[in-house]
Amino acid sequence: MSILPIIYLVYMFITLYFLALFLTIYSVNRKNIFSYPVPKKKYSVSFVVPAYNEGETIADTLEHIFNIDYLLEEVIVVNDASTDNTLEVLEKLKDKYPKLRVITHKKNSGSAAASQNTGLKAAKSELVAVVDADSYPSRDSIGKMVGFFNDEKVGAVTCPVVARNTDIFIEKLQAIEYKVIAFSRKLLDYVDAIYVTPGPLALYRRKALLEIGGFDEKNMTQDIEATWNLTAHGWDRRMSLSANVSSTVPSKFKEWYRQRRRWNVGGLQCIYKYKSYLFSSRKGSAMLGFFIVPFFIFSTFLGLVGLSIWAYLIARRVISWSLYTKYTIVASTPLLTLEDFYITPNFLNYLGVVLFLAGLVFTLVILAILKEKILMRENLLNIPFYMLIYISFYPFIMLGSIWHAVRGKKIWR
Amino acid sequence: MEILKSQKHVFWEAFLVTILIFAIGVIAGVIFENWRANKIDYLYKESEITLSDIRAQGEIASSLPLDCGEAISQNIAFADRIFKEAELLSRYEGAQTLTEQINLEHKKYDILRALLWSNSIALKKKCKADFHTVVYIYDYNEPSMDTKAKQGVFSRILAELKEDKGQEIVLIPFAGDNNLSSVSLMMGLYNVSESELPVILIDEKTKINELGTVEEVEKFLK
Repeated sequence: MSILPIIYLVYMFITLYFLALFLTIYSVNRKNIFSYPVPKKKYSVSFVVPAYNEGETIADTLEHIFNIDYLLEEVIVVNDASTDNTLEVLEKLKDKYPKLRVITHKKNSGSAAASQNTGLKAAKSELVAVVDADSYPSRDSIGKMVGFFNDEKVGAVTCPVVARNTDIFIEKLQAIEYKVIAFSRKLLDYVDAIYVTPGPLALYRRKALLEIGGFDEKNMTQDIEATWNLTAHGWDRRMSLSANVSSTVPSKFKEWYRQRRRWNVGGLQCIYKYKSYLFSSRKGSAMLGFFIVPFFIFSTFLGLVGLSIWAYLIARRVISWSLYTKYTIVASTPLLTLEDFYITPNFLNYLGVVLFLAGLVFTLVILAILKEKILMRENLLNIPFYMLIYISFYPFIMLGSIWHAVRGKKIWR
Repeated sequence: MEILKSQKHVFWEAFLVTILIFAIGVIAGVIFENWRANKIDYLYKESEITLSDIRAQGEIASSLPLDCGEAISQNIAFADRIFKEAELLSRYEGAQTLTEQINLEHKKYDILRALLWSNSIALKKKCKADFHTVVYIYDYNEPSMDTKAKQGVFSRILAELKEDKGQEIVLIPFAGDNNLSSVSLMMGLYNVSESELPVILIDEKTKINELGTVEEVEKFLK
């Protein structure tokens, strides 16, 4: 057997493994997947919202935060020296919301993490909810998250991020992606493998965040880094699938690409920072060393190898075709005949189709479980596109991200 | 947390499930490829019987006057038949990933084609027949991209030639680098070496190594 079928089989095995892993976890926990603990006490909660030029969205975000049906201690907005009307809007809202505190940086810090750290230092509560300025927590979100802190070892609780804007094609694809991510993350929760508590809404135990030194201001995905850091310090992370926060997703390909690149570069920074944890069973952080770090390294490596093979096959096909065309011209024979359209699928093609269908069913099941009836109806064609085309972009973005990271460009956007 | 910790066994469970499903998939793949190989093998056996029949006919009737018209028409029909079977063989070969069985079928067919060639030469001598033998000897084992492209065009030229000339030619394509002594012997007899493949040999006299048009090849048939 030649090397390429072996590589295909390895990829298929890995895909099948993750599918089997998720299905196994789901089958064991399907009855309590949406459940959340009732809080044993009244936890005090401070909100921290980093804001840089968020004049257009900050009022909406604050309205959603103050509408949450949980008594909040305070809402701290850290204005990172915005150059638009953010500060003006905030000053006006102070009268409407007496619990609103505004802290303004004199100089722009260039990172959301710095603003989050400022907010963290100023916060007084036992729990700190960090919210992006363009994200909108649901009314019942905090009530469905705080109970997880009954367990003293829990340092952070996350919830699903849903796409707020789903009008155009790229937004709809992201809506599907966010659902798949949220569901998968909940499944990872059962094996203590949550690797990120995303920025749109994450609830932290203040003590835990202070113990790890707050958010890493040099990391482009401070939410991933904070989660890894908490894991490294032995703190557990949990996910409440019943709560949610909606966030505005990129509407243009360029914005989407930049966002993904930032996520990837942040992930690479995390891999570099936590490389010493690889296959290390330090107390309380075994999951970091045996699952999270290897998973990130492995998926980066697999994406790049897959991309290289794809590029190699395309190059071969192009060269073959150009040679064939050249000789066809010499011999005056037709370039294409009916025979060229006759496809004889091999066994790997059939296996690939089976795996694709399994993935498709898994995605549909996720949308059905999450009761996304509208999303399912509207996306009967979008789902195959998401699985065949959208996901195929990931390795390309990873390549762009590595190039970006090598050139040392770190931009918070 | 204790409950959660106890769930980590799912990593192993999923691994075992994956191995099981994967093994079933690979076994299904091997069965599938063997089924294709068996299909080819069945066709091969039928062809083998036909050729043996043709050759036996010649042997038995060696002392009797041979019905040349019938023998030639059987020979050409047989050549056409294994040419068509070669197309199916080639498609299945391209779709083979796990097993090597079809490669073996290819070798068996190569021997059959060498026999057909030898039979065609004998028939031409015996019956003073006016059909042409067009033997196409190609590079089978890992040809370069350039050779592969060239061979693709050679095949197309020969398919067009067969379409134009029909019963006037016996078209015999076979691999020249499969380490088969009968094939090597035939190639040696007509001065064809492995290094010059692909080659078209017309009536055991004219060797064509360079690509040309169908019309240019047809000129050698006159």
